[in-house]
Amino acid sequence: MNSEATFHPNEELLEGYVQGSLSAGMNVVISAHVELCEDCQQRSQEMEATASQHWMQAEEEQEPAISADVAAIIRSITSQPQVRELPERASAVEEIHMLDHSVRLPRVLAKVASDGLVWKKLANGINQASVTLDDKTQCDFLYMKPGSQVPVHKHQGNEITLVLDGSFSDESGMYRQSDFVVRTPDHTHQPVSEEGCLCFAVLDSPLTFTSGLARLLNPLLRYRFRRATSIGV
Amino acid sequence: MNAPMTAAASTNSRDESSAAIQEGGSDEALLIAVGNSQDTAAFNQLFNRFSKKIFALGMKLTRNEQLANDLVQEAMLTVWQKAPLYDLDRGTAQSWIFTLTRNRCFDIMRKMKRQPTTVSADDIWPQEGEVDFNLSHAEQGSMEVEIANIESYYEQLPDAQRIVIEQIYIYDQTHEEAAATLDIPLGTLKSRLRLGMGKLRQMIGTEEDE
Repeated sequence: MNSEATFHPNEELLEGYVQGSLSAGMNVVISAHVELCEDCQQRSQEMEATASQHWMQAEEEQEPAISADVAAIIRSITSQPQVRELPERASAVEEIHMLDHSVRLPRVLAKVASDGLVWKKLANGINQASVTLDDKTQCDFLYMKPGSQVPVHKHQGNEITLVLDGSFSDESGMYRQSDFVVRTPDHTHQPVSEEGCLCFAVLDSPLTFTSGLARLLNPLLRYRFRRATSIGV
Repeated sequence: MNAPMTAAASTNSRDESSAAIQEGGSDEALLIAVGNSQDTAAFNQLFNRFSKKIFALGMKLTRNEQLANDLVQEAMLTVWQKAPLYDLDRGTAQSWIFTLTRNRCFDIMRKMKRQPTTVSADDIWPQEGEVDFNLSHAEQGSMEVEIANIESYYEQLPDAQRIVIEQIYIYDQTHEEAAATLDIPLGTLKSRLRLGMGKLRQMIGTEEDE
């Protein structure tokens, strides 16, 4: 489970995760990487310590307006029972079964998958199971069959891919289990997977395919993205 | 950390602990008093020290005054409820309260925006007081070993872990009693006990492999 990652979230993303300022989708993919990566566990703990120091040192501009009197609030809080044991976690789906083996999921993704994944076949040996985590991102489990290839595409926003099993490669390199791959809008890329690959991908705006017949998919993808992110609007 | 080295009195009486919590007590000392002896005076002080901070963090993350006010109460309630789980070895009281505030804030915002609740803050960030993921893997190995060996292993343990094991296995105290005697949070006691026992098992396991 602890294969060493070569690609990690940058300072800004990890900082956002620690500060709690990111969307749920981004938090989830970073959390899953952190669970798999001891370096990033260390980094995020250090960032938490620093963030809390800054928090304590900052000057407040505004007082909280606590309506009821504070003594009454404190009395009502301290009449509550305390927790002496962490509750056992409800068991979630922990594994995804592939053709010839199963893949253990990081805890947060196990939770995400616990509502059940609906897999859809896309072209070129790619399977996709979408999950909705918030109104800002599109999140998918992606399974690339051995020898499969995603059509050339670029992104309007950022795409983050966490490799959960197997590997894939593109023009810029080879990515294996635990790797956290960020693609920004200026990348046009064409991922291929020799051995097959299970990933979790988070997009903060839709993909655009740039070549051949795959371009026909664009309007459909945009429609799906809007649907996936239209809750609460 | 200045845990007493001897197991002197069997318990720190509940009335004594408040006396230790005069105005200048550290955040950690206050939190321990809240967790070990439900000390409301200590909680009062924590409330005074942190409510403004929590409100400011809430404003920064939500830009919504009402939510930030709600957050003060929600986060301080969590401080009270989870104080026994606080672990000295994993960070300062302020960093513990910071992460717990961030987590409650995440949950409050999701509720407010009616976003899917498949994942909560406790799934995304390891829970306050939860053990490291990688610890459990080290705890392998069988227990067939001479008592004499155990003693020599036992002496190799770091003081902090040995003292905890002593309280539980030699003085036969409950976890709560031992935490009060040593004046450390219950969460710290449990994590040191787990670490110490894990190390013992590991030492025993290594011996057998040779």
